[in-house]
Amino acid sequence: MNIVPVAIIVLVMVAFSQLSKRNILRLNVVAWMVIWWLAIYFALSYGINPPLPASIIGMFMFIVSLALAAYLTTSTDDMEAAKSAFVNFIINPRYALPLILVMIGLPVVSAYNVYSDMTQPPQPPLSTRTIHPPPPPSITFKGKTIDLIEDENPYRALKTDNPAEFAKHVENGRRVYFQNCVYCHGDNMAGRGIFAHGFDPIPANFRDPTTIAMLQETYLFWRIAKGGPGLPAEATPWLSAMPAWEKFLSEEEIWDVIIFMYEFTNQEPRAKEELH
Amino acid sequence: MRNLIIFAILCLALTQLNAQQNIMGSDAQRAAGKVIYDDKCAQCHGYEGDAASVAKTYFRPQPRDFTAATYKFRSTPNGELPTTEDIKRSIRLGMPYTGMPAWPEFSDQELTNLAYYLKTFAQDVFEEYGSTPSIDLQSPPAYSDASRDRGRMVYEENQCLDCHGEYGRGDGKSAPTLVDQWNEPIRPADLTKRWTYRGGATRTDIARTFITGLDGSPMPSYSIEPIEDQWALVDYVYSLGGTDDKYNEANYSVAAFATPYKGDIVIQDVASAKQTYFQNTEVSTFPVVGQVVEPGRAFFPGVNSINIQTIVNEDDIAIMLTWHDMSAETSGGNDPSVELPIYTPDSPPDTMGQYSDAVAVFFPTQESGGPEKPYLMFGDSKLSVDLWYSDLSKSEAQVIVGKGIKSMEPAAEQNLQTWSEYDNGQWTVIFQRKRVQEGAVSFDQEDVFVPIAFTVWDGYNKERGNKRGMTSWYSIHIPTLQKPSPVGPMVETGFWTFLVLGLIVAGVKLRYRNGDA
Repeated sequence: MNIVPVAIIVLVMVAFSQLSKRNILRLNVVAWMVIWWLAIYFALSYGINPPLPASIIGMFMFIVSLALAAYLTTSTDDMEAAKSAFVNFIINPRYALPLILVMIGLPVVSAYNVYSDMTQPPQPPLSTRTIHPPPPPSITFKGKTIDLIEDENPYRALKTDNPAEFAKHVENGRRVYFQNCVYCHGDNMAGRGIFAHGFDPIPANFRDPTTIAMLQETYLFWRIAKGGPGLPAEATPWLSAMPAWEKFLSEEEIWDVIIFMYEFTNQEPRAKEELH
Repeated sequence: MRNLIIFAILCLALTQLNAQQNIMGSDAQRAAGKVIYDDKCAQCHGYEGDAASVAKTYFRPQPRDFTAATYKFRSTPNGELPTTEDIKRSIRLGMPYTGMPAWPEFSDQELTNLAYYLKTFAQDVFEEYGSTPSIDLQSPPAYSDASRDRGRMVYEENQCLDCHGEYGRGDGKSAPTLVDQWNEPIRPADLTKRWTYRGGATRTDIARTFITGLDGSPMPSYSIEPIEDQWALVDYVYSLGGTDDKYNEANYSVAAFATPYKGDIVIQDVASAKQTYFQNTEVSTFPVVGQVVEPGRAFFPGVNSINIQTIVNEDDIAIMLTWHDMSAETSGGNDPSVELPIYTPDSPPDTMGQYSDAVAVFFPTQESGGPEKPYLMFGDSKLSVDLWYSDLSKSEAQVIVGKGIKSMEPAAEQNLQTWSEYDNGQWTVIFQRKRVQEGAVSFDQEDVFVPIAFTVWDGYNKERGNKRGMTSWYSIHIPTLQKPSPVGPMVETGFWTFLVLGLIVAGVKLRYRNGDA
């Protein structure tokens, strides 16, 4: 969310409400609807980061228009007020000039819309993908079956049972990481490696609490061992530059680098699901 | 009087002690620095600061050995030690396009502690010589074209082009021979890509870099007088990358766009084709990174970006690729599918053999009919890619059908023409083919995006097979040849809007003509 535009919109709305409450500014129901419509439009256009596509904003604004119309019909008085304001605008000679401006202005605006639509540079298609797809129940790693639901990192228990031995696995994981993973996932595991800018989807940021902290270690094992090609179709395996590390690393090396990833980022893996 | 002298001596001793503290920091600061260093820095720079580390040989330039007390990026004169602030700056901003990342995560205090700890790897030297003050760079006068033109002369007078090249593309005649203090190969900066400048991209940064020199590298220091000439050189170097600060950052494209061409496309050679066909076409730039996905990984590719310009007429498509390469390798040959071993730190240096530069642009052979694309590593068994491949030791192009690196076969039809040229650090390769081709990628539709990807082999860097620079999948827009005029639809829409408004107004007026609503 972009705080500044949203704050400005809220302040303007509060100002309108105060002005009308103190009878400094007299706003009828139509004026209020216009204000609300514009406020929501600006909030959607400038208040959200990354920006929403124009088509999505258009869809939201259509729903907002319907909602405002529905709101209007809930009260007969409001309906009447809106209707008389509308009719008055058209038939009262006082508004002749504004009416002419609207009659000319609206066709010009719609013609301009057509113009900008037709001259706008074409936009490359966006592809959507699932970021954390569900893992398969088990995988085969160099002829051995690894159960992604039941199995655990075989060296995890050493953390409490044998810290000296555990430290060796952490060190080995450090070596594996800095010889293999650092180019994309970066020195601080924040996804800012030297090649990160060349890949789309961008490398995962393991410091982000919604990545490895939310996942079981077996999930990481699957993603590391099978890489991009091992992803299901909804996760666009053809785009991913994540190698299938079974070509390069041993099982122990993968478990070690997983341990190192959690130690280095001060995070804990998600506990194994308890079946009820 | 005696008291006064004792007091003065005491004061002096205190300031000395203070100065010493300012250079080396306190025990607590260095201890705090060590904790961060061992966690974040030691994997590359070594626990003893000597760059003996697990990652050392995976980077070029290699991680710095701090025991040598040789620092590239300083505000102090050539051969002097950096200030604490210099070291902090290097850590905070990193060195773009090297293994040294920026560390925005560190607070100022953490950076200070780290800087003090780094100095302990060469403690004697820092204690004795660590108080050299910074050079006062002053703020640069405004950029001017006249100053830039004068700067070109300064550039030539100081033999900058020996390393950085005629047009600053890092391709000077001695460029391929350069090594650093540790005898490791090092490349001169490509001055046209300001976002890759290790010492920073602003005009002040440029001045600092050549005034102080980069210790340990072949970049010497230059004191250029009068000062107008110094800023003239800055302006010339700055102009090589475009005279707008927006070029301090990389401006990579999201897609490529072909331009319609009226008339036949008959290419004789690269130079004339640039003039005739590609003059007013849109240039798209894509980042090239090391292939690190499959065995044969390239940890330090020689090329870091590629440009594409495309024209289409009714029958033909012509794609022009340009990229910067320090030296042209046109003998020895290359092969996209040659098998390479997995690199380990024990592998012997990959310096044998002679390989030519090569380039490929590739597309899905067939539309998948959905969002699915061939695997970005040269396709897969289900969906293949068509590689338009040019080995720059040969004059003919080759079309290769890729179903992954292990299945790369020449296509049945080879109707692809190519032209190439190497000029002062820049390769230009043009491919031309009919838009429609049976059983191969076809550009038969208009106003569509076709997936496209690139790969570059730098023969100087011994790149071949899967040791290569690569890009992600992007897309290229094939335009409508006859762009419809917007005037008709604009008038039509305006008219209908007016009509509807008019009907509403007329209706309301008719119904309420006898007074208020």
